[in-house]
Amino acid sequence: MIRRTFLAIVAAVAVTSPAIAADPLRIGVEGAYPPFSYVEADGTLAGFDIDIANALCAAMDRQCEMVQQEWDGMIPALKAHKFDAIVASMSITEERKRQVDFTNKYYQTPARVVAPKGADFTDTPDGLAGKRLGVQRGTTHQCYAEKMFPKAELVLYGTQEEVFKDLAIGRLDAQLSDSLIAKEGFLDKPEGADFAFLGTDHLDVECYGEGVGIAVRKGDDALREALNKAILKIREDGTYKKIDDKYFPFDIYGD
Amino acid sequence: MDQIVGYGGQLATGTLVTIELALASLVIALVLGLLGAWAKLSRSRLAQRLAGAYTTIVRGVPDLVLILLVFFGGQVTINSIGASTGLWGYVDISKFVAGTATIGVIYGAYFTETFRGAILAIPRGQIEAGISCGMSKSLIFRHVIWPQMVRYALPGFTNNWLVQLKATALVSVIGLQDLTYNAFTAGRSTDKLFTFMFAAFVIYLILTAISDVGFRALERHYSRGMPRA
Repeated sequence: MIRRTFLAIVAAVAVTSPAIAADPLRIGVEGAYPPFSYVEADGTLAGFDIDIANALCAAMDRQCEMVQQEWDGMIPALKAHKFDAIVASMSITEERKRQVDFTNKYYQTPARVVAPKGADFTDTPDGLAGKRLGVQRGTTHQCYAEKMFPKAELVLYGTQEEVFKDLAIGRLDAQLSDSLIAKEGFLDKPEGADFAFLGTDHLDVECYGEGVGIAVRKGDDALREALNKAILKIREDGTYKKIDDKYFPFDIYGD
Repeated sequence: MDQIVGYGGQLATGTLVTIELALASLVIALVLGLLGAWAKLSRSRLAQRLAGAYTTIVRGVPDLVLILLVFFGGQVTINSIGASTGLWGYVDISKFVAGTATIGVIYGAYFTETFRGAILAIPRGQIEAGISCGMSKSLIFRHVIWPQMVRYALPGFTNNWLVQLKATALVSVIGLQDLTYNAFTAGRSTDKLFTFMFAAFVIYLILTAISDVGFRALERHYSRGMPRA
């Protein structure tokens, strides 16, 4: 009896397994990072990442299935074959490259400096000399601020929220962060009303890396190449722009 | 408040998953707990050692570590064994199975100790009296050990169950869409994290309050004829 049950389990496992090897392509997404990835009230996934993932699947002419995964387990789940690619606003970094392969970027929001409206200084090394510049600790922005603005007085914070709060009450002269986060998390809110972007976009491969890409398992070159082609295709045929316009007031591809 | 109503379905399905997970893992934990207690109290050295190793390892490692180990490590291990022996192809451990099994195994270790303590609390003389009356082993278990063991075990059991019910929240790290996971994603999606976490707080409190009432009834039932403390 026990042996028969065991055989039945083995058979059930054997029958269910081949389905995974075939289509559809399974894509790991997060669902808790608006506006890139979030859930609607009825539980469906939505957001920039989701739309991009669907557009890429259409461009590759493949069936896709979105698999919701909590952020911390994203790379382990990819490696354990829970899904085949990650479209979850994942920045391409050296550390992650040791574990997974990345496609080319599908977006890269530039970093920008935010200061009070009408500030009498510029976002240059000399302009920010002696100014109190707030950044979030341990981020790409700290790396860039230390490299580009060595004469500024860096003030480090645990979270980006704290940087915005201290800027609002005047403890900082300026802050450096992701432009999109600065816009949605501060400038568009009442407490950010008297502040504005200062100067230009900041992009730097050494600190900011190569943007946000799609992660695939190491050595999964066929899928990586197919995704790269699909990214090019949706950039060219206007699909990307349509999705971008739906969520953001500017082109977040960042060329 | 509107958002809570809008995402009410999400919270409800999450709550259901939490309840299913808690009950399914409770069944596993109870079986393992009884087996473990039996093994620890048996005369077989091997059984004692096995049960000892089980409780030492499981109680000595954080729940979170074990969950991640089973879900990610377990899958990789099973698949590499399958690939190298050719016995089976790709196997996907479902989140629910991994979560249930892990929590069941973890709390089985705590139940082992609860049951062992409860059995030891039964005066030895009662069992000897049963033997001298010619009662069979199973008769002694059913009429002497079980009713008293349940009474002695209930306070610890209640404790374990409440901790276990709350520990189900850990499975949200593997992406199982339980109450915590759904409340978190809904909160992040609407930018009302506090509101949704508070809703989860209330729902967990309701679940534990309901189980409290149930356990109090059980305690009354198994304490019949005993003096009230």
